[in-house]
Amino acid sequence: MTTETNTPPRKQSATSFLTTFRQLAQSVGPEAAPGLRRSLAGLILAAALQGFGLAVIAPLFTAAIVNPDIGHALYWFGLMAALMAAASALRWFAQGFDFDGRMVRATWRLRGQLGAKLREIPLEQLQNKRAGELNSMVLGNVDENLLYALTVLNLLFTAIVTPFCAALGIALFDWRMGLLLLLIFPTIVPLYRWRRPALGRGKRILGQAHQDASADVLEYTQGLAILRAAGRAGEKAERLSQTFHKLEAIQAFGHRKGAKPNIIVASIVELGLVIVLGIGVWLVVSGSLHPATLAAIFVIVVRLSEPLSTFILYTAMLEVMEAALERIGALMATKPLQQSHPMQMPSEFSIQFDNVDFAYAQSDTTAISNFNADLPEHSLTALVGPSGCGKTTLTRLLLRHFDPQQGSVKIGGVDLRNIPADQLNSLLSVVFQDVYLLNDSVLANIRMGRPEASDEEVRAAARAAQCLDFIERLPDGWQTPLGEIGGRLSGGERQRISIARALLKDAPIIILDEPTAALDTESELAVQRALDALIASKTVIVIAHRLSTIVGADQILVIEDGSLVQSGKHTDLHAETGRYARMWAAQGAVKKWSVAQ
Amino acid sequence: MAVDTDLNEDSPENSAPPIRKKRASPWRILKPVQTQIKLAMAISAGSALFGLAVMLQLMMVIQHLLAHPETVPWLWFIGAAICTVAAYVARLGAFNQAHYAAFRLERILRIGLAERLARVSLGYVETQGAGALAKVIHDDVKALHVFVADSTPLYARAYVTPVVTLGLLIILDWRLALVALLILALGYSILTRAQKQRRDMVRKYNTAREKVSAAVVEYVQAMPVVRNFDSGKTSFGRYQDALDGYLTVMLDWYRAAGFPARFSWLVLSPMPTLTLVLGTGLWLTSLDDLSVSRWLGVLLICTGMAEAMMPMMMLRHMIEKVTLSVIRIEEIMNAPELQHPSTVEPQSRLGLDPSAPALQFDNVTFSYGADLDPALRDISFSVPEGSVTALVGPSGAGKTTVARLIPRFWDVTSGRIMLGGHDIRDMTSDQLMEQVAFVFQESFLFADSIAENIRIGNPEASDEAVIAAATAAQAHDFICDLPQGYDTPVGERGVFLSGGQRQRISIARALLQSRPILVLDEATAFSDPENEAELIAALSALMKGRTVIMVAHRLATIRDADQILVFDKGQISERGDHDDLVAKQGIYARLWNNYEQAQNWSLGGTDADRTIAQEEPAQ
Repeated sequence: MTTETNTPPRKQSATSFLTTFRQLAQSVGPEAAPGLRRSLAGLILAAALQGFGLAVIAPLFTAAIVNPDIGHALYWFGLMAALMAAASALRWFAQGFDFDGRMVRATWRLRGQLGAKLREIPLEQLQNKRAGELNSMVLGNVDENLLYALTVLNLLFTAIVTPFCAALGIALFDWRMGLLLLLIFPTIVPLYRWRRPALGRGKRILGQAHQDASADVLEYTQGLAILRAAGRAGEKAERLSQTFHKLEAIQAFGHRKGAKPNIIVASIVELGLVIVLGIGVWLVVSGSLHPATLAAIFVIVVRLSEPLSTFILYTAMLEVMEAALERIGALMATKPLQQSHPMQMPSEFSIQFDNVDFAYAQSDTTAISNFNADLPEHSLTALVGPSGCGKTTLTRLLLRHFDPQQGSVKIGGVDLRNIPADQLNSLLSVVFQDVYLLNDSVLANIRMGRPEASDEEVRAAARAAQCLDFIERLPDGWQTPLGEIGGRLSGGERQRISIARALLKDAPIIILDEPTAALDTESELAVQRALDALIASKTVIVIAHRLSTIVGADQILVIEDGSLVQSGKHTDLHAETGRYARMWAAQGAVKKWSVAQ
Repeated sequence: MAVDTDLNEDSPENSAPPIRKKRASPWRILKPVQTQIKLAMAISAGSALFGLAVMLQLMMVIQHLLAHPETVPWLWFIGAAICTVAAYVARLGAFNQAHYAAFRLERILRIGLAERLARVSLGYVETQGAGALAKVIHDDVKALHVFVADSTPLYARAYVTPVVTLGLLIILDWRLALVALLILALGYSILTRAQKQRRDMVRKYNTAREKVSAAVVEYVQAMPVVRNFDSGKTSFGRYQDALDGYLTVMLDWYRAAGFPARFSWLVLSPMPTLTLVLGTGLWLTSLDDLSVSRWLGVLLICTGMAEAMMPMMMLRHMIEKVTLSVIRIEEIMNAPELQHPSTVEPQSRLGLDPSAPALQFDNVTFSYGADLDPALRDISFSVPEGSVTALVGPSGAGKTTVARLIPRFWDVTSGRIMLGGHDIRDMTSDQLMEQVAFVFQESFLFADSIAENIRIGNPEASDEAVIAAATAAQAHDFICDLPQGYDTPVGERGVFLSGGQRQRISIARALLQSRPILVLDEATAFSDPENEAELIAALSALMKGRTVIMVAHRLATIRDADQILVFDKGQISERGDHDDLVAKQGIYARLWNNYEQAQNWSLGGTDADRTIAQEEPAQ
């Protein structure tokens, strides 16, 4: 299992509401940040007013019961109603940020920005993340954390600010009871501080257990055919069930651990309130507090006890929100590959690799070392060598998925880093071994090669790529959406669509990464014809395993462990005793093999 | 989300029996832990009752103090304190019970799903996709947690509190009860307006959300391609479109349901009830028509009804969210199992008829689904012991389907497949697997050591046997070069090995299994041509002395097969050996021609190059 063990060091507990707010403001963007600030201020103020409004119950009760004075009581009631109405109005106004759609707009903007960002971050970094992870970031995190932010914060404010202000208000009326209630707060704060990191720890243990279980499950479902063929599905299922038992134990453990701070805080709050009420009873008995005032305090305290004892739960939500905002922030902070100046476009399309050294970010060995090659314009160059030797890395360097650490890659003598990023792509066409078709019509899939192409031009490209016959057989012809029937196209047909796309683009440089490796014979023949149309008068780089397909290359580069070991034409290399000749001989032997031997 | 509620659990549309049966209910999936959940709910309800008891006792404390301000009402006060503790402990207990039940349910469901998958047809596994099934076992089961652990205790509270509260209110003072009830009715009626077009909205919302999700995945996965072709403009446009669609749906929702939802929230929050009950109480008190303690009692509990609405709304939302997961889980649980003979002793060895052909297809017709055209039509052939039969044909002709019917990925629709004179449906899977070994195109390795991966065929095999198999499969040398030799872990799904190396390990596995019949499903479609020569030597070793059925692309490899079956559109259109078939000038001859042409093609090839290509590899 290669689950990630080096979880990034997370900032501990020190993060406060202010940090959360700053992250929030950043996520909603400068357009919405002032509105968000006003809205949050409104929520806090509403919570405070509500607290004071509750506190008014004490004088109200006293006025109504102790020396019944209806006028006085009405005055207090009016004040309370006014405070409550003001709190409601403020809250109504503050929640407008959600309900007017401003928050939704902000998340829409943020997603757009995330999408734009994905387009410019170096592909190497992009491909280190799985699509599902990014999906949950763009969809899940944005939704769950921004859309619910105000709701969660509102609950939190009502749980903290309201009780606090109610206690303050009571203190104005009866300082002893108010002070006693206020005493509960200082005991909660350190508990809260202590709780946050503990929560994070529990989450990590649980996250790891889930990750392991998920990997085991995937292995089970993927290996099911083999397990069944070996008659060992039951046994593996046994092991899997052990994993599940273990997960359950960790969940229960985590639950106990995670619930503990919660229980302690809630116990202290509940106990504290009972003691305060007890002291209130004692004050009444000793004659310094009227029972009616105590009754009012009962009403107030009962209202406050639940939010106060559960506020820890909301801070847990806050924690999750913060982690997600952090991830979004990290993605937004990724830097694109640097653009060097002066910006320049090449005037011809030869390719040079000059002393190129390259190592992948997560690896300590070099993938390409001291590589030199010159690919003249309009020539056909083949890269051959064992899998993993660096052939594909070279093409990715040319596509600028990443930059070399040493040396340079040039087109027409111009360093790739000087070519404007969006124009570099216009110089290159790639046909990959794995074809990726968009969930769109056939027409749109081919047209993405050159969006401004006319229907006639798209048709011509499709014809040259041998696509016409099968496209016309599709249920809706050119308009058939490939998402639904993508699976019904054969590998060869999909490959031909990708070649049509490349033909339409008509870029001066073509990269072919084993375009026929995954095809059956009949498709292969058609794809081969399509390729012949594609590469006419272009600078071509091809990666091929089957050597017979590249005997006509102007130049064959034999690569081993990231270095160039041989180069030349087929006839020369074949005559030398070397790596190439050995590979050629081995493939010859394979061709002759048949089942009778 | 602020705007979702559906309070009338028993609205007519829901309670009509046929619809109800069809709609997956998250409650049904709780069955394995039902008792514990019921216990949790009962404790939770008890906690709610204790909570109300606290209020009544506090009321009594004040009543006592008003009458006798000089004595402490110990009885009531201690009662209130005890009930507070009891309510709290019960709430905690319910919470714990529900959580442990939820964890247990997760485990039970996961094990159940895994065991189910061990019994369904492999075809089902394949059509659903291993990734999707794993997601159900892990993620969908996990998604149940919120519902099972957090909602069920809440549910009990949300129902018990308002009912008991209403009763108490009426006993205390019916006029104030009426005030509280009126506010509740007001809030509720606005709520129902808010949820009027709710179903429709939820559907639109889900669709829009799925679109965004698909657009993100597409956008990210296709990034290398889209960047090359249009710097991502097209797919970015599609991504942006999906986002725009989502925005529109959300804004529409807020417009349609925003106001009533917001308003009902306001009305149902505790403050309006409290304020109005206070005001009314004040008025009644001034008329001397209400005792202080009753007023207090009402004030202490009056918000209970309105407050129960919020959790109920949340609950609705949660249930809706998990319903999709429940549907997916139940789908797997209800997937049809392969039929297994009840009459055969599972452990007994099968008496194979030596005179019968090793393998025989008898008028086999097979369709992937009742409403689909048959993928195979009336296929009959027999494979004598020790012979090699090759299945060829254009892609989609049905040859892989034939290969996969033998290990019972699916069962035939009609006809039968006989193995040594026995219908394979009358054999247990162990008996079948004793006879047949399979090498698939995809070689899958488990995250275990190399030796264990080879042993999967035969757990008792000695180290020597493992090494012998690996040697015959041309794998011994590269295994010895690995840091820990045979004990080297291969990494998750064998990622540390090349495709050719993985393939040779799976061949070693088949060698060790040492079964008389061998099915090769495109095992010669080399994923790593660098290792072709070794792979071929390995396959030759494996095929020696066995009855072989193979699906092959490379026609050259099957020139010498004893029997070649040419498939076309689900039928056998030609059969015979290579020379016969070439002479026939039919489909096979065409395939062979194409094959030779494709082999001789070279990129940008001139005629001169063609000649080289044709001559040299064949030397």
